[in-house]
Amino acid sequence: MAGWFDANLVSILNGFAIGSLLFILAVGLSIVFGMMDVLNLAHGAFFLIGSYLAVTFVAGESWTGFLTALGVAALVGLLAGGALSALTEPLARRPHLDQALLTLGISLIVAEVLSIIYGNDVFSVPPPPGLADSVDIAGSSYPAYRLMLIGVGLVLALAVWLVVEKTSIGALVRASVADREMVSAMGIDNRKVKFAVLGVGSLFATVAGVLAAPVYGARPGLDKTILLLALVVVVIGGLGSIRGALVGALVIGQVESLGRALVPDLASFILFGTLALVLIVRPRGLFAGKVTS
Amino acid sequence: MALTLAACGGGSLGGDEGGSDGGAEGGGTVRVGLVIPQAGVYTPLGEDMQQGWELWLEQNDGKMGDFEVETVIADEGESPDTGVPAVQRLLTEDSVDAMVGIVNSATALGVAEQVTEAEVPLIVANAGAEAITKDAASPYVWRSSFTNQQIAAAMGTHLGEEGVGPVYVMAPDYAAGQEVVAGFIEAYEAAGGTVAGQALTPFGTTQDFQPFLSGIQSSGAAGTFVFYAGGEAVSFVQQYDEFGLKDSIPLYGSGFLTEGSVLDAQGESAVGVQTTLHYSTEIDNEANAEFVEAYQAAYDELPTTYAVQAYDAANVLGRALSEVDELSGAAITEALDGLGEIDDSPRGPWSFNNQTPEQSIYLREVADENGTLLNTVVEDLGVQPQP
Repeated sequence: MAGWFDANLVSILNGFAIGSLLFILAVGLSIVFGMMDVLNLAHGAFFLIGSYLAVTFVAGESWTGFLTALGVAALVGLLAGGALSALTEPLARRPHLDQALLTLGISLIVAEVLSIIYGNDVFSVPPPPGLADSVDIAGSSYPAYRLMLIGVGLVLALAVWLVVEKTSIGALVRASVADREMVSAMGIDNRKVKFAVLGVGSLFATVAGVLAAPVYGARPGLDKTILLLALVVVVIGGLGSIRGALVGALVIGQVESLGRALVPDLASFILFGTLALVLIVRPRGLFAGKVTS
Repeated sequence: MALTLAACGGGSLGGDEGGSDGGAEGGGTVRVGLVIPQAGVYTPLGEDMQQGWELWLEQNDGKMGDFEVETVIADEGESPDTGVPAVQRLLTEDSVDAMVGIVNSATALGVAEQVTEAEVPLIVANAGAEAITKDAASPYVWRSSFTNQQIAAAMGTHLGEEGVGPVYVMAPDYAAGQEVVAGFIEAYEAAGGTVAGQALTPFGTTQDFQPFLSGIQSSGAAGTFVFYAGGEAVSFVQQYDEFGLKDSIPLYGSGFLTEGSVLDAQGESAVGVQTTLHYSTEIDNEANAEFVEAYQAAYDELPTTYAVQAYDAANVLGRALSEVDELSGAAITEALDGLGEIDDSPRGPWSFNNQTPEQSIYLREVADENGTLLNTVVEDLGVQPQP
């Protein structure tokens, strides 16, 4: 057992790193859908904006570049989410399919604009100074930057959970989920709540894009791959649940990392195999939110 | 249908377009369809191919034989869904006399029948599936690039003869990846090598190679041979370095691993990686020196193998059109068949065998020369047998 653990330690660790990244990405998608009932298929495109911002500000050269990229990405994410909120407002009473079409269209436009600005070449982004090296773990090298990702993911998970569960802002958001009409009857404009939640949700996407750049780089088509992963995480975890997004992300992180290392022959199927299994056992996800749709 | 198409194909000869008068001796216009990806992941390859094509035309006053060349560009896109209709439009609406290009093997295979029916010669300038000129061969489909096995087998034989020890083999799980793996292993084992293990990674959705890298480490391999291109090539080479395999287990690959724009994105991680390919900017011959200089002067960047493949496609089509008396598919393919050795190619001398190049494959190593990453030529591995 100890031998097995040693041999697979790097894969397990890597599963946590990828899981952290997926959490930051998926939590935005999850709260936007679970709380505001907006299916945002442009989430992957917002992620890619973040990755390209990391390229623009040469995030690998200095911490200034990296932090600037993060800051600008956060701002862009907020604005994009706000715009999305305004765009989806007329569709609020229409079926989800209309929203999906709208946001899918937005994602195609964003991807095309990025391709016009940055061309179609593949970019790689080195990690910021000090994190570019690999550290020695149980006799194997492991990139230091990915270790940092684990920490960032856990801190963010804690912060989001605290805000939603323990603060008055969080209470307002939860109330909007439970009964929008009642919240607005109490004199609170629920369009403002939606505006804020979409802004913050999209912010998570763009910030995840910057954080992922040293791991995934930036290239056309990455948005679609990433959106698919985020959707799988959200479906496994259950919509609108912070805990669900975290658990779903960690499960998918391990499946993609440890699972593929243990059974490489099934690498192509293991992700969707897990998804199918969860859907059979728990059709509403592992931690379905209290939302009824 | 075939008759109408053929008649359309001959239409431009009659000079009813562009006012050029007909007759092969007196010149005329040849309409050539350039089928390249202008959208999607293969776009950088398309750009290089277009540059190679245009450079040749510029150097030859826009003429092939006595014909003025009119290029009609069609967007191949990413897959046969877009590539096949693009070729269809060239055949029906644009009534081209010949076609050049095609990056994707599935697209090349998908258009073979139409091209044959229309009797319009197609010179495939990238797609490397063996079937294009073998199982699905057509007298009208030619190739100026390579076959997947040809390149992989050269490395297999080389590593087997060198006796590097057990080698781990990896490629994306799709047709080309499987061909490369099969071609490599066959040649490598025939030369006395042993395979430490192999893995086929999900194509297009693998960004993180860590699980597979762990597999390489635990297999006890003394070397790794892989085939990746584009974004996957960048991720793989960088992660191979980040996870510390680069220093302990040398990385070998099919040349596309370090070709073109991906090499810049890989950066220092790529230095020392050895690959096999039918071209490198560093090949030492006069034609290549002139080509590289002209290409750099025109586009301010180093040429890639994709540019050379289109440049050579223009060259062979030009040679064929100098021989023909009439602008017909049958005449052009007959002329292509009689070309013999192409002695002025940047890649060195090559000739058609079974309508696909019989050519030297070079062993290359990535080196950093004053900040520019180059594929230096280590050794000419000689002409590789054609499947």
